[in-house]
Amino acid sequence: MGAATKTVQLLQGNAACARAALAAGCRFYAGYPISPSSEIAEVMARLLPPAGGKFIQMEDEIASLGAVIGASLAGVKGMTATSGPGFSLMQEHIGYACYAEVPCVIVNVMRGGPSTGLPTLPAQGDVMQARWGTHGDHPAIALCPSTPAEVYELTVLAFNLSERLRTPVILLMDEVVAHMYEKVDMRRLANLPVENRARPTCEPGKHAAFTPGADGVPVMAPFGDGYRYHVTGLAHDDRGYPTQDPKLVAATNRRLQEKTVRNREGLMRYELLDTEDAEVIVFAYGIVAAAARRAVREARKQGIRAGLFRPITLWPFPGEELAAACAGASRVIVAEMNLGQMSGEVQRVIGRSKDVESCLKADGEAISPEEILLAIEGKEVRHV
Amino acid sequence: MEPNGTQNVLIVGVGGQGVILASDILGVVCMNRGYQVKKSEVHGMAKRGGVVYSHVRYGAQVLSPTIEPGTSDVLLAFEPAEALRWSKYVKPGGTIIVNSRKRIPPAACQDRRMDAPTRYPQGIEQALRGQVGDVRQFDAEELAVEIGDHRMCNTVLLGALSSVCEFELQDWLGAIAASVKPKTVERNQKAFLAGRNAQFAAMRDSLPSEKCEMSRSVTCLDAPEIAIHDSWCKGCEICVVVCPQACLKMNERNRAEVVKAEACIRCMLCEWMCPDLAVRVQ
Amino acid sequence: MFDFREYLRMEMFPHMLCPGCGHGIVLGALLRAIHSLKLTKDEIVVVSGIGCSSRLAGYVDFNTLHTTHGRPLAFATGIKLARPELTVIVITGDGDGLSIGGNHLIHAARRNVGLTCLLLNNQIYGMTGGQFAPTTQIGRVSTTSPKGQYETPFDSCKLAEAAGASFVARGITYEPSALEKLIVAAIENKGFSFLEVASDCPEFFGRFNKLGNPADQILMQKQNVVDVEAAAALPAERLRGKMLTGILHHEPRPEYGAVYAESVA
Repeated sequence: MGAATKTVQLLQGNAACARAALAAGCRFYAGYPISPSSEIAEVMARLLPPAGGKFIQMEDEIASLGAVIGASLAGVKGMTATSGPGFSLMQEHIGYACYAEVPCVIVNVMRGGPSTGLPTLPAQGDVMQARWGTHGDHPAIALCPSTPAEVYELTVLAFNLSERLRTPVILLMDEVVAHMYEKVDMRRLANLPVENRARPTCEPGKHAAFTPGADGVPVMAPFGDGYRYHVTGLAHDDRGYPTQDPKLVAATNRRLQEKTVRNREGLMRYELLDTEDAEVIVFAYGIVAAAARRAVREARKQGIRAGLFRPITLWPFPGEELAAACAGASRVIVAEMNLGQMSGEVQRVIGRSKDVESCLKADGEAISPEEILLAIEGKEVRHV
Repeated sequence: MEPNGTQNVLIVGVGGQGVILASDILGVVCMNRGYQVKKSEVHGMAKRGGVVYSHVRYGAQVLSPTIEPGTSDVLLAFEPAEALRWSKYVKPGGTIIVNSRKRIPPAACQDRRMDAPTRYPQGIEQALRGQVGDVRQFDAEELAVEIGDHRMCNTVLLGALSSVCEFELQDWLGAIAASVKPKTVERNQKAFLAGRNAQFAAMRDSLPSEKCEMSRSVTCLDAPEIAIHDSWCKGCEICVVVCPQACLKMNERNRAEVVKAEACIRCMLCEWMCPDLAVRVQ
Repeated sequence: MFDFREYLRMEMFPHMLCPGCGHGIVLGALLRAIHSLKLTKDEIVVVSGIGCSSRLAGYVDFNTLHTTHGRPLAFATGIKLARPELTVIVITGDGDGLSIGGNHLIHAARRNVGLTCLLLNNQIYGMTGGQFAPTTQIGRVSTTSPKGQYETPFDSCKLAEAAGASFVARGITYEPSALEKLIVAAIENKGFSFLEVASDCPEFFGRFNKLGNPADQILMQKQNVVDVEAAAALPAERLRGKMLTGILHHEPRPEYGAVYAESVA
C-alpha cells in the first residue's frame, strides 16, 4: 500500500479511478476486459482483496453490471468499467439500476466508434449514449473529468451521488485522460468526504421499500438484514410489486426523473475561465477542455476576448449556468471529439439568437489548441 | 371533426377471452357492408391477466383510429370489472353489454379504477347503471358451455352485440364462417345465435365473498382437514385426478371442492400438486 | 406444522400463472425444501430473470430480485460474493436460462459459485405467447414452429455438468416429493447446483401439441422419464427417448468464494 500513502504521486487516469473507488468505499468490482479501460480492472484485482473486497472478471459486460447491482443490493458499493462496445451492452442494466434504484458506478472510457470503431483511439462519441442509451425515460448523471487528479475527485463524487440518490452514475473519461499520467498531490484528495447510503431505522415489518423520503429517494435496505422486499425492473408500486396502474406508474417515473432536478445543486459542476467579459465562449469538456484552455489564453494574447465554459457534470446538462455565461458573448463555439453531439444541446440552451459554431473531430485524434484557436479567430478548421 | 354517422364500438376483456377475434369479425362485417373501418387494439400480456381492448370505428369515412371517452355507441365487455373501467367511454344514451362472469385477475391489478383499493370492485352493476342507463348483462359463459365449449364465449358475446347493431344476420354468419377455423364454424354460428337471442338478466354475483379465506373447509373427527382456497383455484383439475381416494371433485363453477373429506389418507398429493397453492391438508 | 402460506406474500395471490401451469408445483416443493432445511426467511435470496417461471420470485416472502431477461445468475453471483452467508436461489426458465442466459449459466457453473439454480423447463416461451425454446423437442408445435420444431434441443443437465456444475439433477412436477428432496440436496451442495425441473405449460405447449387437459399432461410425465438409478439396470432400448431424473452428477469441489479467498491471500 506504499503508493497510496505517498503525498505526491505520478498517477494514471485509470489508476486514479481505481484508487479513488477504493477510497470511496467500493468493495466490489466486476468487469470484462476491454481497451482502453482494462487498467482499472487490473488495479482493482490487486487492491480489492487486501481491502476486504472482491473482484470478479465476468463473462461479459452485461453480466458485469448485473453482478455489481447484485452486490450493491446486498449492501456493498460496486463499480464496473468498460469502453464503447461494452458500454452499449451495459445499457440494459443501466436502465435496470435506474428503475430499481440501485446505486452503482459505471466508468466508460470513450474510444472511437461506432461499433468496434477505433480501439483504442480517443473520442467523445458516447456523451449522448450516456444520457439516452437505455430505453425509456430515466434520470442520468454523467461526470467528465479532464485530468487524472480530477478523475480521482469525480470518482469519489460519482460514488457519493450514487449512494445519495440511489441511481447509477456514469464517469465518462476520454481515452487521453484515462491513459494520461500526471503528478497528483494526494493530500487534498485523500480527505474527500465519503457518503454512504441511508439505511432504514424502522422495524423490518414497517419498511416500505420504495416509499420516497423528503428528497425523493427511498431508504435502501440491504438484502439479508431482515427487511425482506421485492425488487423488479417492471413498473412497480412503493412496495416494489409490479403494477400497471397509470397513477402509480406515473408517480414513480416522475419521481425518478426528478431526482436529478430536486438535488441539482449538489451535483452540478462546471468550470469558468475568463467568461465574464468574453465575446467568444468555447464550450469544451474532457481532454478537449485542456486544449481549449490553451487556445483561450492564446486568443487573449491576440486581444480576442475569449472564455471557456467547461461542463464537469455533463448530465444533467448545466443549461442555466451555460446560458448565464453566454449571455454577454456574441459567439459560442463547441469543441468536441464527435460530430456535434453536445452542439445541439448547447444550441437549445443559448437559443436561436446566435448560431453555435463547431470545432469537431471524430477521426481518432485529439483536437489541438491550434485548431480551437483557428475556430476562435473565425478561420476555417479543416479537420473534419 | 369526424364525419357524421361514424359508429364506435369498444370491445374489452382480459387476456385469453377472445376480444381480438370478436373485433376481427365485426371488422369483416363492416367491410363487407362497404364501410370504412378502423380498428386499434392492445394485447400481448394476454394470458397473464393483462387487459385487452379493441376500438372499432366504422362509417362512410373514418379518420381517427381510436374512440374518445364519452363517444362510444356500444361497449361490449367480456368481464364486469372491465365494463366498469371502460364505462366512461360510452356516450350518453349508449349501450353496455356485459358478460356477468367475473375473471379475478392477479392481485396487483384487480380494481383498475384510479385510487381504488387493490381488490375486485364491488357494486359494479349499480355503478354502470348510474353512468349509462342501458346496461344489458347475461352469463355468456353459461351459454357457451351449453353449446359445449366455454371458449365460444366471445362468439356468444358477439351475438349479443349484433342485437344492437344495424347489420343483417347473414352478414354476421358469413363473417364468422370466413374468420374461424372451418371445423368450428357451425358451433361458432350456434354460439352467435345463442348470444343474439340471449335474455339479459340482472347481474349475478356468483363469487363467494372475498373475505373468506380457505372457504368450504370440511372437518371430520379423525380425518385431516382439506381446505381449498376458492379464489386461488383456477380449475385445472389436477387435485381431483391425482387424489387416490376421490375426496375432491370439480363443482359447477369449475373449481375444486371437497366432497369426501373423511376418506382422506393424508397422502398430500392434492396440496403438493396444486399449481395454484390453493389446497391445504391440515 | 408446515404451512406454506407462512412463506407467501398472501396479498399477491392468486398468482398470475395459467390454470395447470407446473411452475406453482415447483414453488410448493421449494418452500417445503426451505422449511425442512430450517432456513430463515431473512437468509434466503430468490433471484429470477424474465418469463413465466421468473415471476415466482414475486410471490415469496424472502429477499427477492426479479432481474432482466437471462441475467439472474449474474446478479446472484454479485449477491453471493458480497454476502456469502446468504442462501441464494435462482429461478429461471428454459428460454431465460438457456437461450438469452446460456452464457451466464455455463460460466456460473464453471466458477462453481455457491448458487442453486432451478431451471423450470416447459419447452416453450409462455410469457410471449408460445414460441419455441432451446429445449423444445423436435416435432413439437409452437407459434414459431407451426409445422413442428426443427432445431435440435439442449440437454441442459449435460450442459451444466460439462460446464463444471458440482451438482446436477432433474426432477418433474409429477413427483413433488422427490422434487423437494432434490431441491434440499441442491441447496446443501456448497458449490453451483443445477436442477432442471420438467414443468408443464398446458396453455400453450399442451394446447398446441394436443396433449389434453392439465391433469392429462402431468400424468403423461411419468412415461417420459426413468430414474437414473433404475436406468443403470435397464437395457439401452428401454431408455431411448427418455429423460433421466434424480441426481445425475454430484462431485463436490471448493466453492468459488473459498477458491477466491485462497487465491488472493
